[in-house]
This record gives sequence, C-alpha cells and structure tokens, in this order.
Amino acid sequence: MSSVLQTELGRLFDAGRLREPRGFESAAAEVVVEPASLDEIGELVRKCERDRICVAPIGACRTLRCLRSAPVSAGVSLIQMAGVIAHEPDDMTVVVGAGATLAALEAVLARHGQHLPVDPPFPDQTTVGAMLGAAHSGLTRLSAGTVRDFLIGVQFVGHGGKAVRGGGRVVKNVAGYDLMKVMIGSFGTLGIITEATFKLRPLPELYAIAIGYHCAPAEAFETGFRLHDALALLHLELLSPGIRTPLTREGQYLLAAGVGGNRKDADYQLEEIRRLQPGTLILEGADARRFYRVLRDAELPQAPLRMQIAALPRQLPSCLDRPGLQFRAHAAAGVAQLALDDAETAAGIRRAAADARGHARVLSLQPALRGLIPIFDQPPSGALKLMRRLKAAFDPAGIFNPGCFVGGI
Amino acid sequence: MEDGLRGSGIDSGLRADLEALVGADAVVSRRSELKVYECDGWTIEKNAPDLLVMPRSTEQVSAILRLLHRRGVAFVPRGAGTGLSGGCLPLAAPVMICTSRMNRIVSIDLSNRRVEVQPGVVNLHVTDAVRPQGYFYAPDPSSQSACTIGGNIAENSGGPHTLKYGVTANHVLGVELVLPDGEVVELGGPAEEKLGYDLAGAVVGSEGTVGIVTRATLRLMRAPQSYRTMLALFDDVDTATRAVSKIIADGMVPGAIEMMDRLIIGAVEAAFHVGFPPGAGAALIVELDGLAAGLDDHASRAAELMRSCGARSVELARDEAQRQLLWKARKRAFGAVGRLASNYATQDGVVPRTRLPDILREITAIAARYRLRIGNVFHAGDGNIHPIVLYEERDADETRRAIEAGREILKACLAMGGSLTGEHGIGVEKLAEMPLLFSPDDLRVMAELRAVFDPDNRSNPGKVLPRPGSCVEVSAPRRQVPL
Repeated sequence: MSSVLQTELGRLFDAGRLREPRGFESAAAEVVVEPASLDEIGELVRKCERDRICVAPIGACRTLRCLRSAPVSAGVSLIQMAGVIAHEPDDMTVVVGAGATLAALEAVLARHGQHLPVDPPFPDQTTVGAMLGAAHSGLTRLSAGTVRDFLIGVQFVGHGGKAVRGGGRVVKNVAGYDLMKVMIGSFGTLGIITEATFKLRPLPELYAIAIGYHCAPAEAFETGFRLHDALALLHLELLSPGIRTPLTREGQYLLAAGVGGNRKDADYQLEEIRRLQPGTLILEGADARRFYRVLRDAELPQAPLRMQIAALPRQLPSCLDRPGLQFRAHAAAGVAQLALDDAETAAGIRRAAADARGHARVLSLQPALRGLIPIFDQPPSGALKLMRRLKAAFDPAGIFNPGCFVGGI
Repeated sequence: MEDGLRGSGIDSGLRADLEALVGADAVVSRRSELKVYECDGWTIEKNAPDLLVMPRSTEQVSAILRLLHRRGVAFVPRGAGTGLSGGCLPLAAPVMICTSRMNRIVSIDLSNRRVEVQPGVVNLHVTDAVRPQGYFYAPDPSSQSACTIGGNIAENSGGPHTLKYGVTANHVLGVELVLPDGEVVELGGPAEEKLGYDLAGAVVGSEGTVGIVTRATLRLMRAPQSYRTMLALFDDVDTATRAVSKIIADGMVPGAIEMMDRLIIGAVEAAFHVGFPPGAGAALIVELDGLAAGLDDHASRAAELMRSCGARSVELARDEAQRQLLWKARKRAFGAVGRLASNYATQDGVVPRTRLPDILREITAIAARYRLRIGNVFHAGDGNIHPIVLYEERDADETRRAIEAGREILKACLAMGGSLTGEHGIGVEKLAEMPLLFSPDDLRVMAELRAVFDPDNRSNPGKVLPRPGSCVEVSAPRRQVPL
C-alpha cells in the first residue's frame, strides 16, 4: 500500500515533500507529506477524495498515534508552513502557520513582553495545529482560559481542497458562524487547519509560586479551593506523590498556586496563602519561572493507560479518591490527568466523571488495552446525531482522520 | 381572512393548533398587538410577524416546533428585542417565538461557579442573583437591564467589560437546544472540557438560525475585590486613542476602556449631569479591577500614562455612587442621543486597535460627505466602534443617506483589516457586506454548518448569510404590511 501510495503522491509532490514516517509517526501514518502551500494541500485533499485515501494532520504525532488503532494512509506535516505570518504587538494579535511549534511562537511574542497564555506541555513539540486540533490546554487555563478563548481566526483546507476562513484578525468579532469553535478539538476530522490568529496578553509584571505539601488529596484540594475563592490565582496545580519534580517530597501531595500582578498584588496574595496554608514554600523570579516549566511539563509516571477527566471542579476530588492513584490536576478547573493500571479502573473513573457531569478521554494506552476501553465517552444521542451530520457535511468523502473520534466519527 | 393572519402557510387552523399547545393567552394574532414586535433596535426595517407565541417550557417550545415542522412553517426566535442588527426581524418567517416567559433561574451552584438559566432570564438578573455572595456574570451589554440570556446567546453579546472578561461565547458552557424539527438536544455541559465537537460553541452567535435555546449553563466569575474607575478628558479623540494604546502596551489589562466623543459627551451631560466640562473633545472611562492591594498602583500608573499623552484631566471616581453614575452615563449614552434626533442607527464595526484614530477620522469625513451628525461612543480597548448615525425617519432622503453612510463606515473598517460586527451580529443590517469579509467558500462552509442544525432553513431564514448571488436590498424599509 505504502509504496503504491507513495508513487501516486510522488506525482503530486516533489521528492523532498514526501517521506517515510519517522519513529512513532509510523503508528499514525503510512506516508508523510510536507506540503508548503494551500494549493498543495488542496491538491492532496482532492486526490485523497478521489481515491478515498485517509489523511490526517500529524503534528508531532503524540495524540494521533494514541487515537488511531491503524495508521492513516497519508499524514500531513505542516513543518513547511510554520512561520509567524504577522505579529502586531500594538494590536496584541498574531497570525501563525499551523506547523509552528508553540516554543517558536512564544520566542517571537516574548520579545515584546507578550504571550499566548494557553501553555500546554512540551511547547517545543506541540504545534499550533495540534494545540487546536486536540484542544490542548495548560495550567493557566484557570485564569486565562483555553485556546477557544484566544483563537480569533482560523484557516483550514476542507472538502474539495478549498481553503476556508472563519473569524478575522480583530480581537472582537461576531461576523458569521463561529468556525473556530467547530475546528478546536475536532482532531483532524473536519479538515486540515493551516493557520491561526490569536489574541495575546501581556506577560505578568511579577510571577511567584506558592507551594504547599499535603498528606492526603482531600486536604490538598480543600486548601486549594479556599485559596481559589479568596484570591486571583493564575494557576492551581495539584501533583500526586508519584509525579516527580525537583521539589517533590516523598509521599506528599504538592499544591502549586501561581500568583501575579504588581508587587503589592503578589505580596498580598503570598501573605494570604501563608496564612491559609502554613508552611508554604515561596518561589520568585527565575526560580518561579523555572518551576513553572517543570509544572507545565510534569509527566505522569509510566503506566499502561493514561486518561484525562473533566468534571465539575468541586466533584473532581471524589473522582480521584482511590488509594495510590497518580494524577496531576488543574485543581480548580475540574480537569485532571491520571495514570492507571487497567481498563477496569479506568471504566470506574470514567463513571465517576460522568456522575460529576463530566467525561473522560484516554490519552495513551498499551496496545494490549486497545479495544478494551473506548478513547472517548459517547456524547448524548441528540448531540451525536448532530456531530455525525457535521462530519458528513464537512467531510462528505470521509477521508479526514476517519473512525477514531467520538461515536466512531 | 382573519385579523392578522395572512399568507405563507398561516391559517386560523395553525393558530388554533398553537393555542391548543400553549393556551390562548400565549398566542398573539391581533395586528395591533403584533406591531410591537415589528422590529428590534435596528428600526430602519420593520415587519410584524403574523403570529406570536410565548411558550413557558422546553416541552412547549418542542411541541410548537414539531407543529411548525409538520406544516413547513418558518419561525423567528425573539428575546427582549433589544438587538441592534435586525436579528429578530421576521423576514420569511410568519411565526415569532418569544422566550421572555421562560425566565426562571433553574439552579445556582456557587461552589462550582455555574448557573443554569432559562433563555428569558434578563442578563442583569443573573448577576443580581449572585452578587450578595460575591459573584457576577461577566458579559454586560449596555442593554443588560432588559436583554435576555437567550438573545445574548443568539448574538454572542459583548459589553464594556469584554476587554478583560470576553464575550458571551466565553461564558456559555452548555445549552439545551430545540432543533427546528422539535427535537431537544443537550450540547456541551458544565465541565470545562468538550466531549466531541463544540456544538454549544457553534450555537452561540448563530443569530437564532439553529433552533431555540431553552436552557443554558453559564460560568460565573468571582467579583473583583475592588475597582478604580477613572474619567479622563482629552481635547480630541486622536489623543485619547493614543492613551488607550499606551495603557494596553504597558501590560495592564483593564476591565474596560470606553470612549465618548464630543457629540456624545454633550448628549450624556445634558441627560445625566455627570459634570463633563463643556468643550471636551473626548472622554475615556478606564476601569481597573482586581485585588485591592495593588489597584492604587495600577490606577496611578494608568493616570500617569494618560496625562503623559495629553489628558486635560484624570479623575478617580470617589465612591461607588460616582462609579455607578459614570457607568450609567456610558451605558445609557444611546438613550441620551435620542434627545438629539428622532432616530439613530448604531454601527458596530471593529478595527485593529491601532487603527482607531484612522477610522474616527474616516467617520468624520463620511459624516461631512453625507451631511449627517455621527456620534461615537465605543469600546476603545477592543477597537469595537459604535458610530451613532442620527437621522429623521420621516425624511426619506436623510434615511437613505444614513444607511449609505453606515455602509461606508463598515467598508472602511474592512479596509483597515477589521470586521463588520464586534457584538451586535449580522442580522439583516450587514448581510450585504458579508461577501466583502468572507469568500464564497467561507460562506458556503458556514451555510453547511447552519444546515447541520436547520436543513430546511426554517429557523430565522434570511439572516447571517446572504443568498448566493443575490444582493440584499435594504435601502427600502421592509414593511410590506399596510398598517
């Protein structure tokens, strides 16, 4: 298959634009194409539609290889479309190619004291397209929100190979249907996102982290909720003892509250945290920024199965109430990632999340577990019916990353 | 034919069927009563519905829509009718469904910062219900004491404080939606992550074209500990806009930055006696909010920046009463303008913030060219302008000039890289300009998205997307009914 496809695609693309998958890309795609323009992507999509070839954007391939039980025929890498197209520091907006890594984007923005405060783990491996497609978020979601709060314009290549735009370049805009919302979290099933426009925020004047240690998760959560109610925290992360950081204490749950603002804002908040959580350790300046990156990229221990759950924030602790469970939680946002040993435990936690008006998604799993536990929950039937209609409308040939999204979409 | 019933599949049988579903007191068919519903805040075009239905529950909405589906009758949803783009103007929709009687706050969950409301709940009532406990609902359109959550969701409404807190879409987590065929679906939910496509996100801002939202889960915010609200006066709008850019570039994220020009300052002063000195060319209301501890430092920094840009004076609101007076002046500015002319049309264009001086100069030139008075009161921090074009409806030529001038302003916004609408929606007002902003492929895909919800095009037909190949004629009022 691969060689036939390669020959066929070779007629469309220069040899330099077509390659074998590398490393774990092979779990996601049989051939990797690196188009350099909308026209080339359009050609590819039309070819795929004609010949019913499955195609998916691959990013760094971290999400797709978990999502798919079998690779798509053609993986699209946007490494050739990775430039910052327009950064307008005074308007606080940026237009960027979907192939850009978040680290590259951050470097451009930081020169002007700005950032995109959606900061998922491993920005050097996460592309803009992957962040949008998989709705990746980071710890600052508590204060700043998620990518859906910052994406003001999107361009993608959809069916017929046509480039489509939604939104625009201004920070406030309600003209037309909100294609941004539809594309975020669509996991490559509706088209190939090629460009994004974001609104930006200034970097905070000061940043400090207050770290507390707790023996039990319930106590850690309770303290966290108290801090969240009393202050304006930038983030509130809770790490179980098995998530190793340089500041981890044996057997202790680590609660990390971020504060910002000017000197007085920060001092007031740190003082309050010390009062509400005796024994708090404070990091400031470069130490705080360094530990922020540790928190952002903190990895779950190796496990057969990793899952993310979202629930009503106050119900999150009960979802995680299992002896020895290893997790990292965006505590006050009601979102946590967990390391699990088996499908049965995962199913139990999935039920608990549903009871807490949320849901669960598998982030990674051992091959032996595939098929024993669905990657996504099933949406309610009415919503799923609309989702199937949306998929059929946006992808009539059924070529965009088929068969691995909710309800088998 | 009976009074008020005419054409388009409407007959007395439909009225009787609707009355059987919701009761006679919830169906209006008298033409004199329907006249109230002939337009929203976009008064240039008018067209009363043939029938108005006022359901009280999701079940009633569903039953109504099933009935209309069977009969192939189109409908238009309506909230409080405070929209400014003709979103609830009936075009090819004989039946209007008004959600104002579904006005119950279903549940309040402060610990999770969530509230569930029916669509007829007035925006401000959400905040009123949770203010004593120290929470608020962030989107705050100027009409917030009248407009409803259902309408806010349809139009993706904003308000002054969207600069910091975002628009309606940022605060709606889930909706119960009755599809145009009567099926009730749950989209989204109270958790922060989405399961499947973000259809609730697509419903927000769809201007009533995807069915009727009958319940919504909203996010509440913790009220800021404190506010510092400043009024700064400038000689002209150019200087004031420079100050806006300075403040934002300095790294502050104020809760709101609002601007008024000379004409509006005069109207507001006459109406509310805020104490604006005569002759001020521009006023900025800058509000900083957050933790009390650092707020004075932020405020003095903002004041210093404005003075360095040439502010004539910068005054801090002394107390809550004075702060409220400033906001009253700002939010009721539209009403105050009513003293200056019988009619006005409010535009809602957006430009990149750095182009504000350019667009304001352009508006001045357009006003001169069309011999019209145009005032400006707007969300300066967002680059979202609200030129208010004054005109006399009885003067057909002036009305025509007002419409033309509005279009020119929007075209100028687009030429500067902006948008047609920041928070009012396309409605009917800006239909003709959509192809200037979006390509035929963009519009086709948007139509495909719409058809996912409303394949028969019966929910508020004729809105948001222009018919391919047709030029929408809006210069003549749409009143087709002899009064």
